[in-house]
Amino acid sequence: MSNREIVADNLIKRYGDFTAVNSVSFKVESGEVFGFLGPNGAGKSTTVNMLTTLGMPTEGSASVGGFDVVKQAGDVRRVAGVALQEIGLDPIMKSMELLTIQGQTFGMTRKQAKQRAEELLDLVKLSEFTERRVGNYSGGMRRRLDLALALVHEPDILFLDEPTTGLDPASRRDVWHEVRRLNRTRGMTIFLTTQYLEEADELADRIAIIDKGEIVAEGAPDALKAEVGGEAINVTFADGDIAQQAQTVLTTMAERIQIDRTTLRLYLNNSAASVPKVVQKLQEANIELETLTLTQPTLDDVFLKVTGQRYDADGEAESENEQSELQPA
Amino acid sequence: MSTINPIATRQKEQAKTRTKSNKMPFLLQITTLAWRSLVVNFRTPGAILPPLILGGFFLVIYEAQLGNASDFFLSGSSYINFILPLSIVSSALSGAGVAGQSIVRDIESGYFDKLLLTPISRIALILGPTLAGAVILAIQAAFIVLVGTLLGVNPETGILGLLAVIGYAMLLGLSFAGFTIAIALFSGNAGATQGGSFLFFPLTFLTATFVPISLLDGWIKVAAELNPITYILEAMRSLMNEGWVTETLLTGLLACAILALVTFTFSMLGLRSRTSRK
Repeated sequence: MSNREIVADNLIKRYGDFTAVNSVSFKVESGEVFGFLGPNGAGKSTTVNMLTTLGMPTEGSASVGGFDVVKQAGDVRRVAGVALQEIGLDPIMKSMELLTIQGQTFGMTRKQAKQRAEELLDLVKLSEFTERRVGNYSGGMRRRLDLALALVHEPDILFLDEPTTGLDPASRRDVWHEVRRLNRTRGMTIFLTTQYLEEADELADRIAIIDKGEIVAEGAPDALKAEVGGEAINVTFADGDIAQQAQTVLTTMAERIQIDRTTLRLYLNNSAASVPKVVQKLQEANIELETLTLTQPTLDDVFLKVTGQRYDADGEAESENEQSELQPA
Repeated sequence: MSTINPIATRQKEQAKTRTKSNKMPFLLQITTLAWRSLVVNFRTPGAILPPLILGGFFLVIYEAQLGNASDFFLSGSSYINFILPLSIVSSALSGAGVAGQSIVRDIESGYFDKLLLTPISRIALILGPTLAGAVILAIQAAFIVLVGTLLGVNPETGILGLLAVIGYAMLLGLSFAGFTIAIALFSGNAGATQGGSFLFFPLTFLTATFVPISLLDGWIKVAAELNPITYILEAMRSLMNEGWVTETLLTGLLACAILALVTFTFSMLGLRSRTSRK
């Protein structure tokens, strides 16, 4: 079995005084789906650029499929398929033409390339649209075509840089389905960056959370969530003032307490058993609650724990009290 | 357990295709990229049709306005013969500009990066669009020659001479292509590429544009003598009005070579700056 690992060893990327990626190290095993999770501007794309030979590390080293990304760039390009965040498709061209040229550049004859193109168009469900210019495709169709382009040469390792950003939920699920399928049926190692917690949770065997250029947590999603603790109790109130009163009342009970406008989140050792006590305390203080739910910890909680800030995909760290809208699902 | 392990099967298949399929031959890389560039350009004819029509239009205007006044400096040979090379040169410049425009479009759409992630040769990335520019230029030159024929062009050197004139135009066009490609690669910006291309156009006027160089005087004469395009135009004109004059033709070729050397060095530097990993 070929080497399908990705290894980053103290990768550093500086632009002048700004350090975009700071001593990033990880190892992705053969056949693994690795989620690289972080808000906008955290350094995800910069890392992908270095791993896929588009960018040069300032310091450190990395290998893809056993090939050094600096010294053996040609070999890396041969074993890796890449779908960048910016979909680089010529809008004037048609899908069949793009795929055929792509195949030819990897050494296929025109005939082989066309045959491969047909297979892939079928795979990404674009067979009916081969005569339409790519510029007229919807965002989801373009993403799917871009994925097909990355797969032309049957890569061992696939890099997907934010493959679902800007997609509607249905298209997003299509991409997820395809990622899982490629990983399971072909044993492809998949390195996937995303700003969506849900996506990393859904797809990745293991994730690394990157924030401000540094890896702040790494592990299987469940293990990371377990580290944060067990279930949490969410209590909502009629308005923010009441929520704050409740916070004062309950603060001694919880290991950690968090307020988000009208919602309190309490982290306790044994949440379920503590529910009656919480309700009782609130009643004693004459505070009326609207709803009470138990929730499993999320990657959001992991992010909060390791960075001290709530997760915000747009990269503008918000302090706990100013948290406003919920994250896009 | 399934009886067939899909991963193992694929590994075997892949091992087969990998040994069979090698690298894409270099020339095929260039022609494939050139073909693609042509297809894209013909789908957006807005960029190539206006220069074509303008080229023909100017030819008609020059002939109509200057044709009768030219007797005193051309001593009997026809003005249309004299002015045709200028029209061809102007359209050659716009045709060759296609090369730079193609590349900058790809940089802006991100397709250029996509190609950089394939094993394709970096030089093919510029030679492909250059070849496409040359083809478009040849078509434009042929069109101008056709209009010229309708206006009574009658070269001393016959059809072979006309082909040679187009040949010179292509050489000049290729140099210009190198120039636009360089700007495209350095700037990565369509506006800059277009603007930079216009810098080349004064060169077609700082030369013996409308009259023979012998009739120029003062600073314009100095400028014309320093301008390599003057010698290329002279060579083309000699084919039209004089015959096969070896020295003039060789000087013209030398001027083409010098110009091409400069602009292609420039575009190779651009390529290096664009593809060097940052």
